[in-house]
Amino acid sequence: MDALAAIRDVFFQECEEQLAELESGLLAMEGGDTDPETINAVFRAVHSIKGGAGAFSLEALIRFAHVFETALDEMRSGRLAPSSDVLKTMLRAADVLADLVRAARVDEDGQHPHAATLAEELKAMSGAAGEADETEEDWGDFEFQPMAAAMDAPEAPAGPTGFVVTFKPRADLYAKANEAALLLRELGRLGAVEVELDAHDVPPLHEMDPEAAYLAWTITVTGDADEAAIREVFEWVDGDCELNIQAIGGEAEGDDGAEAAFDLSALLARVQGDAPAEAAPEPEAPIAAAFEPIPEPPVVAAPVVAAAPAPLAPPAAANEPSPDGQAGGGARKAEAAAGATIRVDLDRVDRLIDLVGELVINQAVLAQRVMEAGLARASAVAMGLDELEQLTREIQDSVMAIRAQPVKSVFQRMPRLVREVAAMTGKPVRLVTEGEGTEVDKTVIERLADPLTHMIRNAIDHGLESPEKRAAAGKPAEGVVRLSAAHRSGRIVIEVADDGGGINRERVKSIAIEKGLISAEATLSDEEIDNLIFMPGFSTASEVSDISGRGVGMDVVRRSIQALGGRITITSRPGKGSIFTMSLPLTLAVLDGMVVSVQGQTLVAPITAIVETLQPKASDVHSLGGHARVISIRGGFVPLIDVGMALGYRREPLPATQGVALLIEGEGGARAALLCDAIQGQRQVVIKSLEANYRQVPGVAAATILGDGRVALILDIDTIVAVSRGEMRKAG
Amino acid sequence: MNQIVSQSGQHAGGMKELISFRIGAQEFCVDIMAIREIRGWTAATALPQSPSFVKGVINLRGAVLPIVDLASRLGFESTEASDRNVIIVAQIGEQVVGLLVDAVSDILTITDDMIQPTPDVASETAKTFVRGLIPMEGRMISLIGLERVLPDMELEAA
Repeated sequence: MDALAAIRDVFFQECEEQLAELESGLLAMEGGDTDPETINAVFRAVHSIKGGAGAFSLEALIRFAHVFETALDEMRSGRLAPSSDVLKTMLRAADVLADLVRAARVDEDGQHPHAATLAEELKAMSGAAGEADETEEDWGDFEFQPMAAAMDAPEAPAGPTGFVVTFKPRADLYAKANEAALLLRELGRLGAVEVELDAHDVPPLHEMDPEAAYLAWTITVTGDADEAAIREVFEWVDGDCELNIQAIGGEAEGDDGAEAAFDLSALLARVQGDAPAEAAPEPEAPIAAAFEPIPEPPVVAAPVVAAAPAPLAPPAAANEPSPDGQAGGGARKAEAAAGATIRVDLDRVDRLIDLVGELVINQAVLAQRVMEAGLARASAVAMGLDELEQLTREIQDSVMAIRAQPVKSVFQRMPRLVREVAAMTGKPVRLVTEGEGTEVDKTVIERLADPLTHMIRNAIDHGLESPEKRAAAGKPAEGVVRLSAAHRSGRIVIEVADDGGGINRERVKSIAIEKGLISAEATLSDEEIDNLIFMPGFSTASEVSDISGRGVGMDVVRRSIQALGGRITITSRPGKGSIFTMSLPLTLAVLDGMVVSVQGQTLVAPITAIVETLQPKASDVHSLGGHARVISIRGGFVPLIDVGMALGYRREPLPATQGVALLIEGEGGARAALLCDAIQGQRQVVIKSLEANYRQVPGVAAATILGDGRVALILDIDTIVAVSRGEMRKAG
Repeated sequence: MNQIVSQSGQHAGGMKELISFRIGAQEFCVDIMAIREIRGWTAATALPQSPSFVKGVINLRGAVLPIVDLASRLGFESTEASDRNVIIVAQIGEQVVGLLVDAVSDILTITDDMIQPTPDVASETAKTFVRGLIPMEGRMISLIGLERVLPDMELEAA
């Protein structure tokens, strides 16, 4: 049982990878990629999922994957053009497939509300492709019984003539008072018939439309009847049904023998390709799940070759390994390009990172001791230490890089979100992503998904105008949301930009006044107005929409970004759009800090919160009753907080002129000046938890260990500001 | 000292190993199983808004270790820590804590029946920390339970 569960786990892990491959492949095609390897990769992804699902008897998944695969095969063989509409449907199908996989993961075999409709669309697509090309057959709509075909095909060449008729009435046929049964009876008069009903499309009872047509038949007619006679039977329903008449056996009168042979090979290939779907608990399926779809491609790949316009493949192509050689080779190449990887338990990596952190500190302590011992800089020991330092830095960087992952994993979730939101709002949207390869710590990536989701929703829902408004403004109907990532000075910068109408400042301001966030007389700069949207309790949507109005506003986004040690800013140009820029640290394990001293203690202030540092002048500092002081900065007054007092390190406030003030901006944009004794410098510090062995300390966010081996505390600026504000109120 | 710690353990038949230490003139002991290591004093970084018996935090090979002045915790005068002092690194539940004491004196092997119940005295700290008394060669050693050494999380955090 355990072994099976483990295999199941591997299967679902690989499903995730296949789904990612599927989506990126489809997106690449949407972007104009015509490389056959791309469509092959897409096909393989769906095929592997189907194969694996077969091993675990995940019926809903198998059924959908099968239909999807059939449509992809049409595309792969060139019968279905990868038009934008087709690809959009495929992308939605990929979403459904992803949902089905996830449903199957938690509860064996799930149902999906859209699976049936999308399956219909896919079938219609593969069907339409068949009809569009007259020399081809309508394969998408039915499945052969593998047994029957397997017998037919090899024996056929010399056997009696006959026809396979596939007949799928449309609703119109019944509406015109025709009756399928009568037509079948009519066929029976022409010779021996074998009728097979395809009730595959019959939906559950509650979804059934009594006037729709769901049934299809496959009729094998053997005997002397010719094609014309069969066609005559269906004369009156021509156009109201999907009809296919195909000769079996030696269609001698056919002037193109090669074509008939090709049909056969295609038929055989398809039948064999479909077989796994029919026999769900396929014995070799676990292998198919664990490896690439090598067991299948020999047969499925055949139509690709056969459909190539110039040289028609000989009948034997279906059984020849050569097409497989191509497909398999391609797969192997793709794997090699992806690079060799191993899966490692995250705990082990984190343990290693901890150890390296200790090594770095130890090295620094040792270096300091050697300095203190008065050894010459050029001494062998000092030089050896220099080398050691370089090595430890390199080790630290490499170890940090293990946790780093490309933002692709979170960017990949966005196209789907965009499709959903675009469908809900009725705004056509194109998502452009850039810099997906930009790497950042895994934890940052995980915690980026929610704010990004929200920002993209916002960009479409609030940022982009309706198609009519866009047309009026002379913009293309399709809005563009650009999601980009880049490394900039040791941080990752992520931008969400839309080409919408920009922030409606008048409206934002009036809402802020209405909600009591600002006073009516306040004069605000454009930038300040733009930043109002980050205030708690602000939401511009006049009606609560399904998309953005879930009670979370941009203030939540801002808070979660700040919790990651990041900042978020907005720039907006009326009529041109808005850009949200997030700047985040590359890892949560280190922090850029300003090292300051306060009453003999060394403290670290997160640099992200610091706006500027200044030397207070006596004339700028004013008392405000009790111990409270304010400092005037460019005309405005901000509270001056003595960090030593706030943390209880001293009883008497430091005269403002003897210290240095850090102008900080806390949560919600509140500003304050923190008075410290001196600034030691700027440094990247490793964050250490205080709670692990002790507990939370008010005013302290975490601890770190400095080069001298001592612990320094990292300030929790928001708490310090909040506490001081409370004290000020008491004092005032 | 580390080696002694790792080699020893609970003996069969109710035998127990305790580590004894001095605070001022008094002797105390704790179960050796809770002790991770013993190290010299290094200056601690003071923690704001902490009880007086929390001396601060030190760096223990990359981990941040709070230091509890056991004298102050037990209601004596607080220790002016110097190089002569010793930190006993103890595991209390999930947390690791450093206990500042004057000196470590001995490792005692006792049986459970040697532990006498704490007489009913008025002192709250005695009731809170002292689990029993062990008479040893004319001296009295108090067995201390470490569970309550750290400040009460919920109470003080509020």
